[in-house]
Amino acid sequence: MGIIFYKEPELKNPIMFCGWPGIGNIGISAIESLRGVLKAQEFGEIEPWDFFNPRKVTIEKGLLKDLEFPGSKFYYQRIRNQDLIFFIGQEQPAEGRIRYAEGKKAYKIANLVLDVAEKFGCRRVYTSGAAVTQIHHTVKPRVWAVPNRQSLIEEIQKYENTILMSGIEGRSSQGTIAGLNGLLLGVAKKRGLDAICLMGEIPYYLQGAPWPYPRGSKSVLEVLTKILDVKFDLSQLDELVKTVEENIEEFLESLYTAEAIPPQVRDEIEKLRYARPTEPGPITKEEQNEMMKHLDELFREGGRQDEKHF
Amino acid sequence: MKNIFKFSERPKLENPSLIVGWEEDSGKLSPKVIEYLHKKIKCKSFCEIEPEGFFSLAGVAIENNIAQFPESKFYYSQRNDLVIFKGSEPHFERYKFLNAIVDLAQSYCKIKDLYTISGTISPIAHTNPRRISAVFNQRQIQEKHRGYGLQDLNWEGPPAINSYLLWVAKNKGIPGASLWPQIPFYLVAGEDFQAIKSILSFLDKKFNLDLDFAELDEEINNQNTKIEMLREEDSEIDKYIGMLESELSLSEDEQVELTMKVNEVLYLGYPRGENKD
Repeated sequence: MGIIFYKEPELKNPIMFCGWPGIGNIGISAIESLRGVLKAQEFGEIEPWDFFNPRKVTIEKGLLKDLEFPGSKFYYQRIRNQDLIFFIGQEQPAEGRIRYAEGKKAYKIANLVLDVAEKFGCRRVYTSGAAVTQIHHTVKPRVWAVPNRQSLIEEIQKYENTILMSGIEGRSSQGTIAGLNGLLLGVAKKRGLDAICLMGEIPYYLQGAPWPYPRGSKSVLEVLTKILDVKFDLSQLDELVKTVEENIEEFLESLYTAEAIPPQVRDEIEKLRYARPTEPGPITKEEQNEMMKHLDELFREGGRQDEKHF
Repeated sequence: MKNIFKFSERPKLENPSLIVGWEEDSGKLSPKVIEYLHKKIKCKSFCEIEPEGFFSLAGVAIENNIAQFPESKFYYSQRNDLVIFKGSEPHFERYKFLNAIVDLAQSYCKIKDLYTISGTISPIAHTNPRRISAVFNQRQIQEKHRGYGLQDLNWEGPPAINSYLLWVAKNKGIPGASLWPQIPFYLVAGEDFQAIKSILSFLDKKFNLDLDFAELDEEINNQNTKIEMLREEDSEIDKYIGMLESELSLSEDEQVELTMKVNEVLYLGYPRGENKD
């Protein structure tokens, strides 16, 4: 179990950005977009077999050609004398049927990622994920920021459209970050590395949806570009935001028409459309639970078929 | 690291072949094939993989009123120069588990090759012959098996555990093949004796086992007779099976109805035409 380096670039005080799949793929889409725009080059990967099951086999004319595992890769780039490392994991090393990484494997992979960070002299790590909250899908999501040490608070307060946990209505500075985004913050703290998790808001009624939520990713990306003091053309992402929003509207409309969810759920979603983000949630916890009972059912994924279903 | 192997004896083996079967399989194919082999060629267990770390040990599953416990055992037949592994698919640490199988087979048993068996669900009638598709992990072993009537499989998608095992064996330089006989979809929940026989016939020919198929032939006849009677009494079922025999596809509702009625007759023993309530 280890890391394979294709090359060892010479980097000076790099900043690391980490992305894994999660709710709405908000974090990974933001980090991956940044990596793509900056054309960062691959330089290493974590050996996958101890963490992941293979996702695809290729059999041609009776010969087993290839077995493909989810990638966990490192990339690097320099902009304006600032070195950057990107880590993109295609899956979180979940055990059993748990959706997010936890336990021994998660701890191991978090340590491997930070081994690379430290090997190249990195002192600052950013992770990114989703913040499930009571907003409407047409509203611009805010970015919740959680640092792993007090000294980073002041810096975070300067980021636009970003709030600390203490600024979120009804949270009293408390909360949890599930999976590797949270764990990495903790492991970084243990090693004395600065780390900040940036979470783009997503409407809670979409948390189980199998689609990405680019509106949340865009909010995170805007914060990241400010941090790096760079400007990018985000028009492609805007197009995606528009398409996904139209699809959500269409999907919800089809559910209402088919009476797949009760009329009061429609009213509850509509309440959110006009609520300002600073207001306490316009619907109650009970109403939220009732909505999720219906929507979770609709979003449940089917099983993947292997050669047994050839 | 804790030793994951528990030996009950240490037989001397001479370059055997390994056959791998899993406890859960369509048409009960692999457990039944292994069971038949045990009975006919007198296999003896000699080693097992400890379940800790590979299976949830928080309790036991109950199936058909019986408490189950995962078993991962190696058997040998010195006379036929065979090693057989029968196990449950691990819940955790698949890579480690599959490596354990191959490591023991390679370092202790000195196997020359391995064969995995598993049913593949197919839209065919039970009266059709069962074609066996095959996947090989090296060109040489594929060439060696020309003439056995195996069909080369093409597939791109999520892998079953057998493909994963073949890949692990390939990386350790062990030639291997996975064999995939067709199972009619309406026999998946029970036993498909015809498919079981097709695999046993392959193994019989391949390893000169001199198997006696009388018991199996009787089971096939019994099963076919019951389905034949159902066809005579139920024209819809006769039509559906007839369509499959003519390679026509059934709608989802037709598939469900056929599966339900065949299973009632074969496994629940409901007399045809009577209300099961």
